Amino acid sequence: MGRTGIAHIYASFNNIIITITDLTGAETITRCSGGMVTKSAKDEGSPYVAMKVAQTAAEAAMEKGFDRVNVKIRGKGGKKGGSPGRGAQTAIRSLVRAGLRIGNIEDVTPRPHDGTKVKGGKRGRRI
Amino acid sequence: MKYLKIPKERIGVLIGHDGETKKMIEEIAQLQIEIDSAEGEVTINEHEVKDPLLALQVVDVVRAIGRGFSPEHAMRLFKEDTDFFIFDVHDYVGKKATHVRRLKSRIIGRNGKTKHIIESLTGADISIYGHTVSVIADFESIDIAKKAIDMLLSGCKHSNVYRFVEREMKKLRRGQWF
Repeated sequence: MGRTGIAHIYASFNNIIITITDLTGAETITRCSGGMVTKSAKDEGSPYVAMKVAQTAAEAAMEKGFDRVNVKIRGKGGKKGGSPGRGAQTAIRSLVRAGLRIGNIEDVTPRPHDGTKVKGGKRGRRI
Repeated sequence: MKYLKIPKERIGVLIGHDGETKKMIEEIAQLQIEIDSAEGEVTINEHEVKDPLLALQVVDVVRAIGRGFSPEHAMRLFKEDTDFFIFDVHDYVGKKATHVRRLKSRIIGRNGKTKHIIESLTGADISIYGHTVSVIADFESIDIAKKAIDMLLSGCKHSNVYRFVEREMKKLRRGQWF
Protein backbone atom coordinates (compact mmCIF):
# COMPACT_ATOMS: atom_id res chain seq x y z
CA MET A 1 0.00 0.00 0.00
CA GLY A 2 1.54 3.25 -1.13
CA ARG A 3 1.26 6.66 0.37
CA THR A 4 -1.22 9.40 -0.43
CA GLY A 5 -0.22 12.88 -1.45
CA ILE A 6 -1.63 16.09 -2.86
CA ALA A 7 -0.96 17.23 -6.41
CA HIS A 8 -1.15 21.01 -6.63
CA ILE A 9 -1.68 21.96 -10.26
CA TYR A 10 -1.33 25.61 -11.16
CA ALA A 11 -2.43 26.00 -14.77
CA SER A 12 -2.34 29.54 -16.11
CA PHE A 13 -2.53 30.44 -19.76
CA ASN A 14 1.22 30.67 -20.17
CA ASN A 15 2.59 28.00 -17.89
CA ILE A 16 1.80 24.97 -15.79
CA ILE A 17 3.37 24.09 -12.45
CA ILE A 18 2.73 20.79 -10.70
CA THR A 19 3.89 20.33 -7.12
CA ILE A 20 3.26 17.01 -5.41
CA THR A 21 3.36 17.16 -1.63
CA ASP A 22 2.43 14.84 1.21
CA LEU A 23 -1.01 15.12 2.81
CA THR A 24 -0.02 17.97 5.13
CA GLY A 25 1.00 20.03 2.12
CA ALA A 26 4.15 21.19 3.91
CA GLU A 27 6.56 18.60 2.57
CA THR A 28 7.29 18.81 -1.15
CA ILE A 29 7.93 15.48 -2.82
CA THR A 30 8.51 16.62 -6.37
CA ARG A 31 7.89 19.58 -8.57
CA CYS A 32 7.83 20.16 -12.30
CA SER A 33 6.95 23.10 -14.53
CA GLY A 34 6.51 23.88 -18.21
CA GLY A 35 9.96 25.32 -18.66
CA MET A 36 11.59 22.14 -17.38
CA VAL A 37 10.30 20.01 -20.26
CA THR A 38 10.24 22.39 -23.20
CA LYS A 39 12.69 24.84 -24.69
CA SER A 40 10.35 27.30 -26.38
CA ALA A 41 8.57 29.76 -24.11
CA LYS A 42 5.39 29.89 -26.13
CA ASP A 43 4.71 26.17 -25.62
CA GLU A 44 4.89 26.26 -21.84
CA GLY A 45 1.13 26.53 -21.41
CA SER A 46 0.09 24.11 -24.13
CA PRO A 47 -1.77 20.89 -23.34
CA TYR A 48 0.97 18.71 -24.78
CA VAL A 49 3.52 20.18 -22.39
CA ALA A 50 1.02 19.83 -19.55
CA MET A 51 0.90 16.12 -20.34
CA LYS A 52 4.67 15.79 -20.18
CA VAL A 53 4.92 17.83 -16.98
CA ALA A 54 2.32 15.63 -15.31
CA GLN A 55 4.12 12.52 -16.49
CA THR A 56 7.49 13.55 -15.08
CA ALA A 57 5.94 14.62 -11.80
CA ALA A 58 3.96 11.39 -11.53
CA GLU A 59 6.99 9.22 -12.24
CA ALA A 60 9.09 10.98 -9.64
CA ALA A 61 6.30 10.68 -7.07
CA MET A 62 5.76 6.99 -7.75
CA GLU A 63 9.45 6.33 -7.36
CA LYS A 64 9.11 7.69 -3.84
CA GLY A 65 6.26 5.35 -3.01
CA PHE A 66 3.17 7.42 -3.74
CA ASP A 67 0.32 5.72 -5.53
CA ARG A 68 -2.64 7.95 -4.77
CA VAL A 69 -3.08 11.72 -4.96
CA ASN A 70 -5.80 14.24 -4.26
CA VAL A 71 -5.76 17.01 -6.81
CA LYS A 72 -6.04 20.73 -6.23
CA ILE A 73 -6.24 22.72 -9.43
CA ARG A 74 -5.83 26.44 -9.57
CA GLY A 75 -6.04 29.03 -12.32
CA LYS A 76 -4.72 32.56 -12.38
CA GLY A 77 -7.43 33.81 -10.05
CA GLY A 78 -7.86 37.18 -8.42
CA LYS A 79 -9.47 40.11 -10.16
CA LYS A 80 -8.04 39.03 -13.50
CA GLY A 81 -10.19 35.97 -13.07
CA GLY A 82 -9.90 32.90 -15.20
CA SER A 83 -10.72 29.36 -14.29
CA PRO A 84 -7.94 26.79 -14.59
CA GLY A 85 -6.32 26.84 -18.03
CA ARG A 86 -6.72 24.17 -20.62
CA GLY A 87 -3.62 22.37 -19.37
CA ALA A 88 -5.30 21.32 -16.13
CA GLN A 89 -7.58 18.64 -17.56
CA THR A 90 -4.88 17.09 -19.71
CA ALA A 91 -2.52 17.11 -16.73
CA ILE A 92 -4.99 15.23 -14.54
CA ARG A 93 -5.66 12.74 -17.30
CA SER A 94 -2.00 11.99 -17.76
CA LEU A 95 -1.49 11.64 -13.99
CA VAL A 96 -4.04 8.84 -14.24
CA ARG A 97 -2.33 7.38 -17.28
CA ALA A 98 1.03 7.37 -15.49
CA GLY A 99 -0.48 5.08 -12.88
CA LEU A 100 -1.46 7.34 -9.98
CA ARG A 101 -4.92 6.92 -8.52
CA ILE A 102 -6.89 10.13 -8.18
CA GLY A 103 -8.90 10.90 -5.07
CA ASN A 104 -11.01 14.00 -5.17
CA ILE A 105 -10.45 17.01 -7.39
CA GLU A 106 -10.85 20.45 -5.92
CA ASP A 107 -10.78 23.85 -7.58
CA VAL A 108 -8.81 26.22 -5.37
CA THR A 109 -8.65 29.22 -7.69
CA PRO A 110 -8.63 32.36 -5.50
CA ARG A 111 -11.78 34.32 -6.21
CA PRO A 112 -12.18 37.95 -5.15
CA HIS A 113 -15.12 38.74 -2.87
CA ASP A 114 -15.16 41.98 -4.81
CA GLY A 115 -11.68 43.37 -4.63
CA THR A 116 -10.03 46.21 -6.45
CA LYS A 117 -11.10 47.67 -9.79
CA VAL A 118 -10.21 45.69 -12.88
CA LYS A 119 -7.90 47.47 -15.29
CA GLY A 120 -9.29 48.75 -18.56
CA GLY A 121 -11.19 51.84 -17.53
CA LYS A 122 -14.81 52.84 -18.06
CA ARG A 123 -14.77 52.55 -21.83
CA GLY A 124 -13.15 49.12 -21.82
CA ARG A 125 -9.94 47.95 -23.40
CA ARG A 126 -9.05 50.09 -26.41
CA ILE A 127 -6.38 49.42 -28.96
CA MET B 1 -20.97 19.72 -4.87
CA LYS B 2 -20.56 22.32 -7.57
CA TYR B 3 -22.88 25.26 -7.98
CA LEU B 4 -23.36 27.50 -10.97
CA LYS B 5 -25.95 29.88 -12.27
CA ILE B 6 -27.27 30.10 -15.81
CA PRO B 7 -29.84 32.47 -17.33
CA LYS B 8 -33.45 31.52 -16.63
CA GLU B 9 -34.40 31.20 -20.27
CA ARG B 10 -31.63 28.64 -20.84
CA ILE B 11 -32.95 26.35 -18.11
CA GLY B 12 -35.48 24.90 -20.53
CA VAL B 13 -32.70 24.00 -22.97
CA LEU B 14 -30.64 22.38 -20.23
CA ILE B 15 -33.58 20.21 -19.24
CA GLY B 16 -34.82 19.46 -22.76
CA HIS B 17 -38.03 17.73 -23.87
CA ASP B 18 -39.24 15.59 -20.94
CA GLY B 19 -35.84 16.03 -19.32
CA GLU B 20 -34.10 14.45 -22.32
CA THR B 21 -30.95 16.57 -22.31
CA LYS B 22 -30.51 16.51 -18.56
CA LYS B 23 -30.95 12.75 -18.54
CA MET B 24 -28.35 12.38 -21.30
CA ILE B 25 -25.76 14.43 -19.40
CA GLU B 26 -26.45 12.49 -16.21
CA GLU B 27 -26.06 9.21 -18.06
CA ILE B 28 -22.75 10.13 -19.71
CA ALA B 29 -21.22 11.49 -16.52
CA GLN B 30 -22.91 9.17 -14.00
CA LEU B 31 -23.87 11.95 -11.62
CA GLN B 32 -26.88 13.89 -10.42
CA ILE B 33 -27.85 17.36 -11.59
CA GLU B 34 -30.37 19.41 -9.67
CA ILE B 35 -31.93 22.42 -11.34
CA ASP B 36 -33.78 25.22 -9.59
CA SER B 37 -35.87 26.64 -12.41
CA ALA B 38 -37.10 29.62 -10.40
CA GLU B 39 -33.62 31.00 -9.73
CA GLY B 40 -31.58 29.41 -12.50
CA GLU B 41 -29.29 27.65 -10.09
CA VAL B 42 -27.72 24.36 -11.11
CA THR B 43 -26.26 22.01 -8.51
CA ILE B 44 -23.97 19.22 -9.62
CA ASN B 45 -23.63 16.38 -7.14
CA GLU B 46 -20.35 14.62 -7.90
CA HIS B 47 -19.88 12.68 -4.67
CA GLU B 48 -20.43 9.21 -6.07
CA VAL B 49 -18.89 9.73 -9.47
CA LYS B 50 -16.37 7.18 -10.74
CA ASP B 51 -14.28 9.50 -12.91
CA PRO B 52 -13.83 12.79 -11.06
CA LEU B 53 -12.65 14.46 -14.24
CA LEU B 54 -16.10 14.09 -15.79
CA ALA B 55 -17.55 16.40 -13.13
CA LEU B 56 -15.30 19.19 -14.39
CA GLN B 57 -16.48 18.60 -17.92
CA VAL B 58 -20.13 18.65 -16.86
CA VAL B 59 -19.58 22.10 -15.38
CA ASP B 60 -18.24 23.27 -18.73
CA VAL B 61 -21.13 21.69 -20.63
CA VAL B 62 -23.73 23.32 -18.39
CA ARG B 63 -21.95 26.65 -18.67
CA ALA B 64 -21.83 26.33 -22.46
CA ILE B 65 -25.56 25.62 -22.62
CA GLY B 66 -26.11 28.62 -20.36
CA ARG B 67 -24.07 30.72 -22.77
CA GLY B 68 -26.33 29.99 -25.73
CA PHE B 69 -24.96 26.78 -27.24
CA SER B 70 -27.34 24.06 -28.32
CA PRO B 71 -26.94 20.81 -26.35
CA GLU B 72 -25.52 19.03 -29.42
CA HIS B 73 -22.70 21.55 -29.70
CA ALA B 74 -22.13 21.64 -25.95
CA MET B 75 -21.75 17.83 -25.90
CA ARG B 76 -18.56 18.32 -27.89
CA LEU B 77 -16.96 19.28 -24.60
CA PHE B 78 -17.15 15.66 -23.41
CA LYS B 79 -14.47 14.81 -25.98
CA GLU B 80 -10.92 14.86 -24.71
CA ASP B 81 -9.34 17.57 -26.77
CA THR B 82 -11.93 20.33 -26.84
CA ASP B 83 -11.77 23.58 -24.96
CA PHE B 84 -14.27 26.26 -24.08
CA PHE B 85 -13.74 29.97 -23.65
CA ILE B 86 -16.02 32.92 -22.87
CA PHE B 87 -15.30 36.48 -23.98
CA ASP B 88 -17.05 39.26 -22.14
CA VAL B 89 -17.83 42.16 -24.46
CA HIS B 90 -17.83 44.49 -21.44
CA ASP B 91 -14.05 43.98 -21.23
CA TYR B 92 -13.67 45.75 -24.57
CA VAL B 93 -16.29 48.50 -24.40
CA GLY B 94 -18.26 49.93 -21.53
CA LYS B 95 -21.82 49.04 -20.63
CA LYS B 96 -23.43 51.20 -23.29
CA ALA B 97 -25.97 49.10 -25.19
CA THR B 98 -25.13 50.54 -28.62
CA HIS B 99 -21.44 49.73 -28.21
CA VAL B 100 -22.18 46.18 -27.12
CA ARG B 101 -24.53 45.71 -30.05
CA ARG B 102 -21.96 47.07 -32.49
CA LEU B 103 -19.27 44.65 -31.30
CA LYS B 104 -21.66 41.72 -31.34
CA SER B 105 -22.66 42.48 -34.89
CA ARG B 106 -19.01 42.80 -35.90
CA ILE B 107 -18.53 39.17 -34.95
CA ILE B 108 -21.76 37.97 -36.54
CA GLY B 109 -21.32 39.86 -39.81
CA ARG B 110 -23.96 40.35 -42.50
CA ASN B 111 -26.25 37.30 -42.49
CA GLY B 112 -23.78 35.60 -40.17
CA LYS B 113 -20.99 35.77 -42.74
CA THR B 114 -18.08 36.52 -40.40
CA LYS B 115 -19.15 33.98 -37.81
CA HIS B 116 -19.63 31.39 -40.53
CA ILE B 117 -16.17 32.01 -42.00
CA ILE B 118 -14.39 31.66 -38.67
CA GLU B 119 -16.42 28.57 -37.82
CA SER B 120 -15.81 26.82 -41.11
CA LEU B 121 -12.10 27.60 -41.26
CA THR B 122 -11.19 26.68 -37.69
CA GLY B 123 -13.86 24.07 -36.98
CA ALA B 124 -14.96 26.02 -33.93
CA ASP B 125 -18.47 26.64 -32.66
CA ILE B 126 -19.23 30.24 -31.76
CA SER B 127 -22.20 31.47 -29.76
CA ILE B 128 -23.06 35.12 -29.25
CA TYR B 129 -25.46 35.58 -26.37
CA GLY B 130 -26.20 38.59 -24.22
CA HIS B 131 -22.92 40.39 -23.64
CA THR B 132 -20.73 37.32 -24.12
CA VAL B 133 -19.09 35.57 -27.04
CA SER B 134 -18.19 31.94 -26.40
CA VAL B 135 -16.12 29.49 -28.40
CA ILE B 136 -15.86 25.69 -28.41
CA ALA B 137 -12.97 24.28 -30.45
CA ASP B 138 -10.10 21.77 -30.45
CA PHE B 139 -6.92 22.50 -28.56
CA GLU B 140 -4.99 23.28 -31.75
CA SER B 141 -7.40 25.66 -33.41
CA ILE B 142 -8.92 27.37 -30.37
CA ASP B 143 -5.96 29.73 -30.14
CA ILE B 144 -6.57 30.91 -33.69
CA ALA B 145 -10.32 31.29 -33.20
CA LYS B 146 -9.76 33.17 -29.94
CA LYS B 147 -7.21 35.49 -31.53
CA ALA B 148 -9.56 36.16 -34.44
CA ILE B 149 -12.43 37.08 -32.12
CA ASP B 150 -10.11 39.23 -30.04
CA MET B 151 -9.00 41.05 -33.18
CA LEU B 152 -12.61 41.68 -34.21
CA LEU B 153 -13.56 42.90 -30.75
CA SER B 154 -10.61 45.26 -30.58
CA GLY B 155 -11.41 46.82 -33.93
CA CYS B 156 -9.45 45.03 -36.70
CA LYS B 157 -10.64 45.14 -40.29
CA HIS B 158 -12.66 42.08 -41.27
CA SER B 159 -10.51 41.31 -44.28
CA ASN B 160 -7.39 41.32 -42.11
CA VAL B 161 -9.01 38.86 -39.73
CA TYR B 162 -10.03 36.50 -42.55
CA ARG B 163 -6.49 36.64 -43.91
CA PHE B 164 -5.05 35.94 -40.47
CA VAL B 165 -7.29 32.92 -39.88
CA GLU B 166 -6.59 31.49 -43.31
CA ARG B 167 -2.84 31.88 -42.95
CA GLU B 168 -2.69 30.42 -39.45
CA MET B 169 -4.86 27.42 -40.33
CA LYS B 170 -2.66 26.70 -43.33
CA LYS B 171 0.40 26.84 -41.08
CA LEU B 172 -1.26 24.50 -38.59
CA ARG B 173 -2.18 21.96 -41.27
CA ARG B 174 1.31 22.05 -42.72
CA GLY B 175 2.69 21.33 -39.26
CA GLN B 176 0.50 18.26 -38.89
CA TRP B 177 1.86 16.56 -42.01
CA PHE B 178 5.31 16.11 -40.55
